[in-house]
Amino acid sequence: MRLVTRDVKKVNLGDINNWFIENFNMDWSVVVDYKGYFIEGFFLTIQLTTVGIIFGLIIGLILGLMRVSGNRWLIRPAQIYVDIFRGTPLLLQILAIHKAVLPTLADLVGLDAPSSVTSAFVALSLNAGAYIAEIFRGGIQSIDKGQMEAARSLGMSYAQAMRFVILPQAFKRMLPPLGNEFIALMKDSSLVMVIAVHEITYAASTASKNTFEVWTPYIVAGVMYLFLTYILSRIVAYLERRYSTSQ
Amino acid sequence: MRKLGLTMLLIGALSFTALGCGNNEATDTDKSKGEKMDTIKIGTDAAYPPFEKQEGNGDITGFDIEVLDAIAKASGLEYTIENTGWDPLFYGIDNGKIDAGISAITITDERKEKYDFTEPYFEAKQVILLPKDSTVTSLKGLEGKNIGVQSATTGEVVVQQAFGKTYENLKGYDDTPSAIEDLKLGRLDAVVADNGVLLEYAKKLGSDKFKVIEDASFEPEYYGIITKKGNTQLLDKLNEGLKKIKEDGTYDKIYAKYFGAE
Repeated sequence: MRLVTRDVKKVNLGDINNWFIENFNMDWSVVVDYKGYFIEGFFLTIQLTTVGIIFGLIIGLILGLMRVSGNRWLIRPAQIYVDIFRGTPLLLQILAIHKAVLPTLADLVGLDAPSSVTSAFVALSLNAGAYIAEIFRGGIQSIDKGQMEAARSLGMSYAQAMRFVILPQAFKRMLPPLGNEFIALMKDSSLVMVIAVHEITYAASTASKNTFEVWTPYIVAGVMYLFLTYILSRIVAYLERRYSTSQ
Repeated sequence: MRKLGLTMLLIGALSFTALGCGNNEATDTDKSKGEKMDTIKIGTDAAYPPFEKQEGNGDITGFDIEVLDAIAKASGLEYTIENTGWDPLFYGIDNGKIDAGISAITITDERKEKYDFTEPYFEAKQVILLPKDSTVTSLKGLEGKNIGVQSATTGEVVVQQAFGKTYENLKGYDDTPSAIEDLKLGRLDAVVADNGVLLEYAKKLGSDKFKVIEDASFEPEYYGIITKKGNTQLLDKLNEGLKKIKEDGTYDKIYAKYFGAE
């Protein structure tokens, strides 16, 4: 018996790249050169989004409850906050918080100016808080007034009624708009590249600017965002399913 | 009826826009064919004083702009100048929106592959701006520290060469003033950029707070005016003007005004 040996042509990554350069004017080696930034950016974008979601939810919950409290000393401040953060561009907020607000505050209490990553966390959280506040307000107001009245007549306090009757029902309705907001937040985190935070878009932009390669860095960044937003939308979909069966 | 009127209005507006586009294209092609050179469009990133900056009233001023003006006068060119920003300057030359760029652009082999440069009009060196009390004496001494640069400038390239292309503590800003602001606030330990720019800032910020050091590894580099590859007609004109102003002393006068006597 003879063993048939066949020449297996080795696929060389360099050859593939040359093919791309010749046919599409795309150079993938740029992405390899800058992979350190892309990896750093991938995890930093996840961090920025996670911090934005957590603090955005806390700020949003507080402001949302203020908005439906019926007390004008609570309603007005919450309204002004939402108006300011929803009515000005996020890019402006990032620049102002990084260059003016945080350095001034830090100086007042005798601290060093916080890093650009801290500025990014603060700006994204404050901004998301405004949008999430509106989602909470809408969710709470969509629950029939009778629910609150019934809960109160059973002897629950306002806080108890909110905590055990209104919010659980409202949360279910809030999930789809919250999902939208989380995905928007992840994409908006790209804006913090202007204060030199090494997130995904910074990596793509730096790789592109230094090499004149205009395709591949942005394609890779886009695929990273698609992957992350896909995961995020799956998580929201899972939560929606879980909460819809509980009723 | 009202709906129809609205539709007509929309169609009218759209075709008007389309017509506008068509006209522009027509003049563009005329220009490239024409023998006589029309007004040339110059792009700059007016955020790099003292080479170029935008005044409160919108005027673009600076060393580059005065050199360009002198060149244009010497070679009989008419021009308009536009603050395009750094990246759009290059895209603008790629797609023909602007004819030339003057923006303290270093002549590099990488850029030469894609664009044409005039003869050099300025010799620049990278320098390091540090707080006065910093103990750093060379680029190597900055290892592990936060270094600010303007993204995609030579300052970024020299730091990348020293500490790696994706050095974690290298912060690339859209413009140099943003990097210097963060140095002032203590977020950065150093800023690496061109001598012309940093010397001016060090002067402005006060020599009691900041100092500028040189590093032996930094090679001098040369600024040139950039044009689309193959636009020799414009390139020759610019070179001709540059030669004239260097010979008749106009250049030296402008240089002395900005950087002191050589």
